Amino acid sequence: MTQSQKNQLLCIWSGPVFVVLFAIGFFFCAGFLPPHSPSTGADEVAAIFRNNASMIRLGQVIMLLGSSMALAFVGVLSTQLRRIETGLPVFTFVQLAAGISVVVLLVVPCLLWIVAAFRPERAPELTQLLNDAAWLMLLTPFAPAGVQLLAVGFAVLGDRVAVPVFPRWVGFFNIWVAVLFLPGGLIPFFKSGPFAWNGLFGFWVPAIAFFGWFLTMTMVMRRSIKRQSVT
Amino acid sequence: MPMDIPLHQPKPHLPGELGVWVFILGDMVIFGLLFGTFLFYRADDPALYQRSQATLNQNFGAINTIVLLSSSWLVAKAVQCARQGARRQVSRLLAAAWLCGLVFAVVKVLEYSEKISHGITLVTNDFYMYYFVLTGLHFVHLLLGMGVLGYLWIRSRHTPAAGDLSVLESGASFWHLADLLWIVLFPLIYLIQ
Repeated sequence: MTQSQKNQLLCIWSGPVFVVLFAIGFFFCAGFLPPHSPSTGADEVAAIFRNNASMIRLGQVIMLLGSSMALAFVGVLSTQLRRIETGLPVFTFVQLAAGISVVVLLVVPCLLWIVAAFRPERAPELTQLLNDAAWLMLLTPFAPAGVQLLAVGFAVLGDRVAVPVFPRWVGFFNIWVAVLFLPGGLIPFFKSGPFAWNGLFGFWVPAIAFFGWFLTMTMVMRRSIKRQSVT
Repeated sequence: MPMDIPLHQPKPHLPGELGVWVFILGDMVIFGLLFGTFLFYRADDPALYQRSQATLNQNFGAINTIVLLSSSWLVAKAVQCARQGARRQVSRLLAAAWLCGLVFAVVKVLEYSEKISHGITLVTNDFYMYYFVLTGLHFVHLLLGMGVLGYLWIRSRHTPAAGDLSVLESGASFWHLADLLWIVLFPLIYLIQ
């Protein structure tokens, strides 16, 4: 096994580690699962941050750590796409750029929640503003994630050699996940119901799709990295 | 139905490549979930849903159903012609199917603008939320499908029809998906009493 393969197999673990750290921070520490309704009043939101300030701060620091790990995952993915694009690579770069922007859109909400929990005794409307900003920033941006997924999808489907780097279903899977993220664009319009940020299509479907994507891609990439020496 | 079924049946033919069915079945699961959600919340306030549904223009919906069914037939015919190697026919049929998609899009835009000019948007009430979201997500699929048909049309003009049928079949399967989703969506949103 080459050093590159070893490095990649190391980096690939950042995917599952990200999922676990994000879940610990979000669920166990901050207690954001299930998400509170967007229609929650300012006083109630402020009370949530006042009563759990320390745990919310801790949870967000853990999520910050986890989200940043995902950068290594984005790096491995582009390394594997580079194997597909034998000429001048373009989807490799698109995936890298879009993947980084997705990580930024995970990191910034964590920081906004940290700010919200930093001085929770402030006027309730201000805490609500920060909380709204964090939720909307975390769940609305279907487009950067969509660009990343489509870049992977098109690269995989364009792999027309006898033994492709990824099986072709991975390409269609990525495009499908991009479609699953589409309802994110509806979140700004609703404060309750299935398309709000705590709803079935605003939160649960994209959240399961997002983490399912990380775990699926971890498995298929492990296989393709190990096969790298054979091809 | 033939009575004498051979012992060794040939392997059933899957249209298109396997991977595209990952997308199609996955998409059907999501739309199934959306339809289920609609029916679940509809049961809470059937009067509101009935009242709102009565304001929809069923003519637009019916025209679009006919247009999409025709386009599906054209695409199926194109695949048949491709199997027989009738290359020029394939291009023509695909172009006709694409035009049907365009008609659907124009009718949809007219329908949306009629609603919006009456001050009805996706935040008016729960029924209109589902109406706009479901038809909107379907519209995205239709536009993607038109992109696919356009690609197949260009391809049919450059590659011999007897060549790789799999791409044509995959694209045709996706177009049939957009049609199928509409066939469920139309009665669910426009007609159900």
